[in-house]
Amino acid sequence: MQKVKSFLKSWEFFLIVLLAVMCLVFKITDASRIAAGAQKKPIFYFANVLKSMRPYFLYSFMTLGMMLILAMGDIDISVGAIGTLSVVTLGVTYNRIAGQTENGSPAALAVALLACLLVGSLCGALNGFLVTRFKELFPMIITLATQLFFRGFSYLLIGGDTLTFKDPTFKSLSSLNQLLKVGGLQIPISIPIYLALAVVFYFWLHRTGNGRKIFAIGTNSAATYYSGVRVDRIKFWCFVIAGFMSAVTGIFFVGNSSSSVKADIMDGYHMYAIAAAVLGGFSTDGGKGSVIGATISLVIFGVVKFGLGTLFAFPDSAVNLSVGVILILSVLVPNLVEDIQNKRKVAQRRAETAKLNAAKA
Amino acid sequence: MQTKKERKPIYSILIEHREIPLLAVLAGKSWLNVLKNGSINMVMCCGMLCVLLIGSIDISITAILAFAGAVAGKLMGTGVLQSTVLMFLLGIAIGAVIGAVNGVLMSYGRVISLIVTLSTSYIVRALIPMSWLLGMNKINPTQLTQGFKDSLINHSFLGLPFLVWLAVLVVVVTGVFLKYTRTGRNLYAVGSNAEAAQMRGVPINRIRVLAHTICGATAGLAGIMWLAFYAAIEKGSALGDEMFTIAACVLGGVAVTGGYGKITGVVIGAVMIAFIDSAIPQMGIGNSMITEFIKGILLLVAILLNVILQRIAEKQDLARRNI
Repeated sequence: MQKVKSFLKSWEFFLIVLLAVMCLVFKITDASRIAAGAQKKPIFYFANVLKSMRPYFLYSFMTLGMMLILAMGDIDISVGAIGTLSVVTLGVTYNRIAGQTENGSPAALAVALLACLLVGSLCGALNGFLVTRFKELFPMIITLATQLFFRGFSYLLIGGDTLTFKDPTFKSLSSLNQLLKVGGLQIPISIPIYLALAVVFYFWLHRTGNGRKIFAIGTNSAATYYSGVRVDRIKFWCFVIAGFMSAVTGIFFVGNSSSSVKADIMDGYHMYAIAAAVLGGFSTDGGKGSVIGATISLVIFGVVKFGLGTLFAFPDSAVNLSVGVILILSVLVPNLVEDIQNKRKVAQRRAETAKLNAAKA
Repeated sequence: MQTKKERKPIYSILIEHREIPLLAVLAGKSWLNVLKNGSINMVMCCGMLCVLLIGSIDISITAILAFAGAVAGKLMGTGVLQSTVLMFLLGIAIGAVIGAVNGVLMSYGRVISLIVTLSTSYIVRALIPMSWLLGMNKINPTQLTQGFKDSLINHSFLGLPFLVWLAVLVVVVTGVFLKYTRTGRNLYAVGSNAEAAQMRGVPINRIRVLAHTICGATAGLAGIMWLAFYAAIEKGSALGDEMFTIAACVLGGVAVTGGYGKITGVVIGAVMIAFIDSAIPQMGIGNSMITEFIKGILLLVAILLNVILQRIAEKQDLARRNI
């Protein structure tokens, strides 16, 4: 009973309700449009939505990395730039080794992919090193500087050019974005990969001591340090993981962008990652949030974008607008509710003391 | 040992490589270009300083810039508004309203300012391509009156165009406000210790709203300046440039934790950013893409050096007191 009650009060439950309400609204609109004769077939049904989730799950991996950092109470706005730099490294390395050959070579692709992941991790390591060694500075400022640095570095590597690869080996990267056919459903490949990673992250973050320490750091860094946790080491590795995840996102992104690489390929992606994580219950204060919430919020973003984009034929900008509104309400409403609860508690206390005083007198 | 003698000082690079016209850049007309390109950023930096002083941050400024510019440009294009002065007032008003919304949500709603301004930047930028505003078009030079286009660039006073004088005016007003008025000092008080400020009777929430309003107003003003300078604006104008504004403030020694920072530092930081932006391509070092790299390195080195110097100073202080 207690468990059910706490679940009903949890943020995940709110997200599920939000998702359900949205689905209901979209479903009703869909049905009414069919009744009105505006369209012949239903658009908003499970298989179709699932199929269209592909572009929205691109930044899901980045969100996984961002979660760790937000849970520690830090923020990393360089993840988009890290993704760009690692993708550019991928392109440049591949171009150098197997440049303009007819068929390309799988070995070169493997080397390039390794270089990409390595560069992503190294960038994360630089962030982690700076954040742990220069505690006087906000992680936000450090990652702002490194963001400019990484972005500039990728411009330095590639200039304003666009590298396009036509050989079939490199093109095979785009198979990462194809649809998987499972029993009549078409599932984007990134979703099962994300879910597998999310399960790993869930057990690591919420079920092992090591993962719980991350939340402990976010709640009270000093107390965690004095209770014998190696705060700096955990922070460092979390930043490395975030960088690695950005590189993974980058690999998915290359396949999506018709096998071409340019230096502003993933600009501004950190905002999506932060938005998804914050809606999922993480806060820049740290110590809050769960993997389940973040996953649901990714689904919510996908559903909103699909529903508004295809059902209401909203332009892309209106979808961004709704994302902004959802984001702001998702933080504002709990705060207001808490305020009201606090006020009610104070009023109750006052009434009780007044009663006691009256009884005394 | 001999190799050591042969090593040249760093500045000899400048003497030997005369093809880098550094001196020409420093002495010549390029300064004017630097000031022109930097003045829009400079105006936004003044607002950003106010927000950083109270320990908050605003990343919606460039969205406000684009929105204010788009609204004003649309009004001028349709012929509703022809007066140049009214355009500037309108821009400031639009920016101030959006900034005030940011401030209210941040102070009374207790939402973290990064999240608030992230959302408002989404929302405000999404409003621009709506059909009642710009649609999918952009404001063209033909839609603006000649007087407005000339107002900032072609009129000049003491050799500097009005664009630069406007930035100077904003800097001076902000500097005086922060240094010599009670409300301005309250910004510092709220930033260094909000609770203590509240105990002393400073209305911290109102101060926070005020700081965000100022920041929004400067961003709106910057939008009109942008419109007058480039004679064009679209939904993607200045996308991502807020990072350079924050970078200029940080270079100028403003503490992001709040409560510390001076207008003079911010001016120097903004000029540095503008200098890298417009002078380095002219000096012929690499392609124009290198400016981003240099900006990143400069910012990184500046903030790290600041911390390292502080640590050394503290250590020396302790050593002097034999602790």
